[in-house]
Order: sequence, then structure tokens, then C-alpha cells
Amino acid sequence: MALEDTRRLGCGRSIDQIWAGMDQPPTSHEEDCELCQAAKARMQKIKEATVALRESDLHNPEMTLPAERTNSIMALARAEARRSKRLVLRGTEYGTVEISEQALSSLIRLAAAAIPGIHSRRCRIEVQSDAEMGSTHLTINLRVATASGIDIPATVEGLRQKINKAIPAGVGIDAGTVNITVEDLYDV
Amino acid sequence: MNDSNPACDADTDEGSIVARAQDGDLAAFEHLVHTYQDRLFRLAYRMLNDRTDAEDVVQETLTASWRALPMLSDVKAFGGWIYRLATNKCLDLLRKRSARAETITDPAEIHSTLDDGATRAPLEADPVASAEWAAQQDGLTTVLNTLPAVQRACWLLREIHGRSYAEIGVTLKINPTTVRGTLARARRRIAEGMSQWR
Ligand SMILES: [Zn+2]
Repeated sequence: MALEDTRRLGCGRSIDQIWAGMDQPPTSHEEDCELCQAAKARMQKIKEATVALRESDLHNPEMTLPAERTNSIMALARAEARRSKRLVLRGTEYGTVEISEQALSSLIRLAAAAIPGIHSRRCRIEVQSDAEMGSTHLTINLRVATASGIDIPATVEGLRQKINKAIPAGVGIDAGTVNITVEDLYDV
Repeated sequence: MNDSNPACDADTDEGSIVARAQDGDLAAFEHLVHTYQDRLFRLAYRMLNDRTDAEDVVQETLTASWRALPMLSDVKAFGGWIYRLATNKCLDLLRKRSARAETITDPAEIHSTLDDGATRAPLEADPVASAEWAAQQDGLTTVLNTLPAVQRACWLLREIHGRSYAEIGVTLKINPTTVRGTLARARRRIAEGMSQWR
């Protein structure tokens, strides 16, 4: 079979070009060019079989990962869950109040989820405690993606206010320093 | 544990979900598992022609991704990265199969591991194998299984999974021009094979 992909047809078109245009209607050149038409016809069978295979695999319920495999993956992920940092929020003479970084970042993500146009990403929290003063200062470093086309400064300010309310409401201390970095835009 | 966190409503962009999974968020990771597990299974099954091997590859790939996620620097690269992990696990397995074939003396076993092992007969109990008999009538899957492993990977990644030339090049450690050449060779062999089948 004379499918010489590196070579061009007599009309100058390459096989790769024709293959790339298989699922598009013929160009005005192809409508008049017998060489292109013949090449297209030869490859039509491969294209159709490929599309048929893609579609039948996609819709074949057997062509999926069994649930017990998914469960094993998630069980292992849970078992190896990255140990979350414990943040000491308050030390008193009777004991300490601790919270996991993940629980605190969940609060922050919830706050972010309430703001349209913001998707929270990585979140790092540091605590500076002053034992003598009995005070705790949080530094929250949150990275976000914002919807393209929104007013970024206003939206980020709205998020900061939301976090400033959510932390005291959730754990009873001030949010402290809230650093928000917009690292990406996502398409709506 | 924060499985209940608002990680993953349908419209959250994948980059954000990946970033949360990097932070150890299990709900976000589970979302990624559900997004990719069946695609990877379809790829692995067509590469390996063996249901159990394909399931193993997908499970190992996704498990490895959980461990390595924090090292991924570009959250938008997750899709390409996970396809790369899975493809290379398939190629490794096929290499092992053919290495095994060289040391096997039983002719029946040799037959079953020829051609990178891809043509070994599926088990009769394999539901995928019987369900696909109709699809096989056009000969494409049969011909695919006679292709060298890298050509088959190229074809599946590009024509079935729609991955980019650049990404396939990175996956197979070849440049995008070579990807095009490899696809062209695969296409020629498929054309030849399918015309014989008819
Ligand atoms: Zn032409």
C-alpha cells in the first residue's frame, strides 16, 4: 500500500495534512483534487475504525476500573495520608488547644468557596506563639486561582474579609496575617 | 481528616483540585482518581491486552501519583504526568514480558508472549475480551496488537486519547517530529494490516 507519509502527494499535500483534516469537510482544494480524494478514501477506513474503537471503549461498562481497585487506591492514600501539622493555638497552665493544619485550612477553603470567582489552592499556615503573653499569631498563606475577567483586587479583598470572620468564628482566635497569592486564572 | 471539605464541585478547575490534593486533601485526590482511572484503564488494557495487568498498572500509577504529587511543580501538568506514569509502566511491563519470552523454552509459552506479549490470547473468562469481539471485526484491535509497543502507545495516546504531540514526545522521550514519524509508521502498518484482514 502506497501510504508514504513523509512524501507528498503530487499536488503538494502531505499525508499528515490529509489525516489531520479527515473529520473536517473537504477543503476547496480537496474538492477538485483527485489525489487528495483518493488518499482520503484510503485512510477513511482507518479513521472510522479508530473512532469506532474509541467510542465503543468509552461506552463499554467493562472497560472501567473495578470499584475494589478504586477502594484499594483510596485506602492506601488514607493510610499514607500526609500527617497534618498540629498547630498550638493556645497554651494555658491547664493544657494546650491544638488544631490540625488541615482542619484550619478546611475552614479557609470553605470561606473561599463562598466567594464567586475564587478557587483555593495550596494553603500553608504558621503559628507564632508567645507563651508569656499567652498570645497566638497566625500567618495564613493561601494560593488561589481566580476566574478570568473578574475584578481581582476587589475579589481578593472580599476573600480576606471572609477569612477574617471565619477563623474567629470557627476557632476563636484572630486570623492574623492573611497572605493571598493569585497564581493562576481559570476560564469560566 | 477533611473528606467533607468543599474541594470538588463540578466547576472547580483541575489545577485547583491538584493543588488541594498536593496539600494532602483526600477528597481532592479522590476526585482526580475518578477523573482518570477509566481513561488510564482503557489505555492500559489496549497496551497490555490483559485485564489484571491493566488494573495493576492503573492502581500502581494512581498510588504512585499520591506519593509523588507534592513534587509536581505545575498543577496544570497533572493530566500529562499521570498519562506518562501509566504509559511507562505499560512499556516496562511489556519489556519484562518479552525478556521473559527470551528465556522461556516451552513453545506454547513462547507463543503466548511474542510481539511484546501484546498478542497473547485473552482469557476466555475475560468479559472485555468477549465484549469486544464485535469491535475486532474491523481488524483494528488485532492490527494494533501487532505494532511495536512504542508505535502502539503513540497511536493510542494520539488517536484514542487525544494527547498532544509535545506531551507524547515527553512521555516516550522522543521529539515531536519523531512522534509524527512514529504515528505515520503506525498508520502505514495499520493500513496494511487492515487490508489483509478484509
Ligand atoms: Zn491534493
